[in-house]
Amino acid sequence: MLGNGVVGISRRVLGALVIGFALSGTALAQQPLKIGFGMSLTGPLAGNGKAALISMQIWAEDVNAKGGLLGRKVELVYYDDQTNPATVPSLYSKLLDVDKVDLVVSGYGTAVIAPAMPLMMQRNMAFMGLFGLNVNSKFKYDRYFQIMPAGPDPAVDWTRGYFEAAMALNPKPGTVALVGADAEYPHLALEGARVHVKRLGLKVVYDKTYPPNTVDYSPIVRAIQATNPDLVYLASYPPDSAGMVRAANEVGLKTRMFGGGLVGPQFAALKTQLGPLLNGVINYEAYAPDINRKFPFLDQFLAKYQGRAVKEGVDPLGFYLPPYAYAMMQVLEQAIKATGGLDQAKLADYMHAYEFDTYVGKVRFARNGEWSVPRMLTVQYHGIGGNDLEQWTKPGHVTVLYPNEYKTGAVKAPYHENKK
Amino acid sequence: MSNKVFAFVALAVALALAAVTQLIPNEYFFTAAYTVLLFVILATAWNILGGYTGYVNFGSAAFFAIGAYTTVFFYNAFKAPLAVGIVAGTLVAGLAGLGLGYLTLRLRGVFFAIASLALAVVLYVFVVNWDYVGGARGAYVLQPREIPFGMPRYIHLIYSVQLLMAAFALVVARAIEKSTMGRGLAAIRDDELAAECSGVPTLRLKIFSTMVSCALMGMAGTTFPYYLSYIEPSSAFSLSYAVNSIAMPLIGGMMSWMGPLIGAVLLGTVQQVVQVTVSSAWNLLIVGVLLVLFVTLAPNGIMGWVDAWRRRKGR
Repeated sequence: MLGNGVVGISRRVLGALVIGFALSGTALAQQPLKIGFGMSLTGPLAGNGKAALISMQIWAEDVNAKGGLLGRKVELVYYDDQTNPATVPSLYSKLLDVDKVDLVVSGYGTAVIAPAMPLMMQRNMAFMGLFGLNVNSKFKYDRYFQIMPAGPDPAVDWTRGYFEAAMALNPKPGTVALVGADAEYPHLALEGARVHVKRLGLKVVYDKTYPPNTVDYSPIVRAIQATNPDLVYLASYPPDSAGMVRAANEVGLKTRMFGGGLVGPQFAALKTQLGPLLNGVINYEAYAPDINRKFPFLDQFLAKYQGRAVKEGVDPLGFYLPPYAYAMMQVLEQAIKATGGLDQAKLADYMHAYEFDTYVGKVRFARNGEWSVPRMLTVQYHGIGGNDLEQWTKPGHVTVLYPNEYKTGAVKAPYHENKK
Repeated sequence: MSNKVFAFVALAVALALAAVTQLIPNEYFFTAAYTVLLFVILATAWNILGGYTGYVNFGSAAFFAIGAYTTVFFYNAFKAPLAVGIVAGTLVAGLAGLGLGYLTLRLRGVFFAIASLALAVVLYVFVVNWDYVGGARGAYVLQPREIPFGMPRYIHLIYSVQLLMAAFALVVARAIEKSTMGRGLAAIRDDELAAECSGVPTLRLKIFSTMVSCALMGMAGTTFPYYLSYIEPSSAFSLSYAVNSIAMPLIGGMMSWMGPLIGAVLLGTVQQVVQVTVSSAWNLLIVGVLLVLFVTLAPNGIMGWVDAWRRRKGR
């Protein structure tokens, strides 16, 4: 009897244990897959950071609507990095050690990507970067990937389009003025520009930077005009992009090409604010409505993003940063599905080896984690009639000059003739 | 308590807190603690000139950046280890403080404050245009792979170093406060003219306190490039260092070495918690609200309020 009783109890205990394990297994499967990041929700880059966050939230909703990843719902865990690099190490260590996230991605921009790198390297994490310029040049981390289509040599590839377009002018230009803000991105862009200037044998007649908080840009434009350059290459952040474009219009800058590396006109705010003042300006863009047939994948994203962006008060166009923020998450999603887990080494190996199909097109990474082939467009704005946003969504105002496979026209030079 | 005994106690506490690195696996604790300790040093350093002497220095961020960029310079030039950066950064910031003292300490009150702010702007422009230390693009300082003293992670090392530096700053601040020099500085704070008439060598004392204060601020910045691995001028010269290094002693109390410590631990911890719970945007707002509250309700800070309470109780 005793034996039967013990066996009976053992069976009940065993049964309870089996059910317990099964339940705990289900609970584990139902635990969300956490993806952590810091994002600039306040500070100078907050507008762009919020737009990127919305894209990532849309991605998470899309994935969860399809049943999640690895059978788990996706949960985004994020903090505001205030666009301040000093906050980054503590935020990412909190994400990894306290919040126990499964994966991390970066915030927006070089300044907040770089401080996260040492921790990622210590933990051997696969790390996707959002619009960092040449971050891996010093770290040389083989699990770092970056979604901006700047190419494997970002400093040089970034400025190539402007100078290729310039050398197509007839007669060829001989002199160039290089100008930009005293900040991280403009300095890198100007460095790349100098490489091309040297390669092409152009004579530099002006090469200066200005403080980013400059108020009156007219003296700078006048000083440039005094050197009478064929080309003016400008690398600037949004406030000084607006200041320099206004000053070029006020002073009546006469040159054959003006612009090249202005951050800001990619977003609706500056497009509508400057309107016709942008006529003739050369710049870089990630997308132009004139070549929408070559970007069929983007329509799917914009259909999801634009309505929501208007409601949330962020960039309503979503041509530049937002689709890449979504694509960054798509890369991770596809790598996780293909490797069937969260093994960081396998994820990184997969991301190096395969091409990804995303809302910004096919993405393949070079050894340093940058896009293997650059795809930033060099464009010229023209025929802009007012300050409404609608015209920017239609073809006819943004001519693509470079790369050649996307080219829709040649430079209309000189710059000042575009004002007529 | 004599200075020697206090130094031993401070060292023992610092070593005990450093030993925590072996017990807590959570790195977040150490990154948050690093930031709080950074503010302990900055607030203590600021208080030597601002609290003891009564000269408001708005240029804390500049001296912090001098320390940080000296580390970057030695890293770029010689791949020098952290210890070299700490010593060099402290000395260079001290020398810069000596220069500031010579040039500006004949100015009083608001004029000195404006001069210190101007120095921060001048140094910012200088660093932005000095490409060797990264200029406007910023500089990378890679954390070494080999971590000394058997520390599991690099953050444990710089947290421990920061602890020792904070202890050192407190020992220096207390030693100055309790010395004849401290009484001289207090005399300057209360009435500089009367102090001068009483034979206090005011200019010499002011220059000395500026030099020590600036050297300690520089020391706070020396580990910063290793903490971030990437440093650029806008983060090194951030307004938050200047604001916090003034706000923390004001809240803790400016008359003694303990005030900045209490203010920095309290405000620094609140900021760290708020950043990951409520919102980062609230950080400076919290500093502002606390400042207004303390200036109106407890103008001598927490320590002043405690002293007043003790006096009332003793009656």
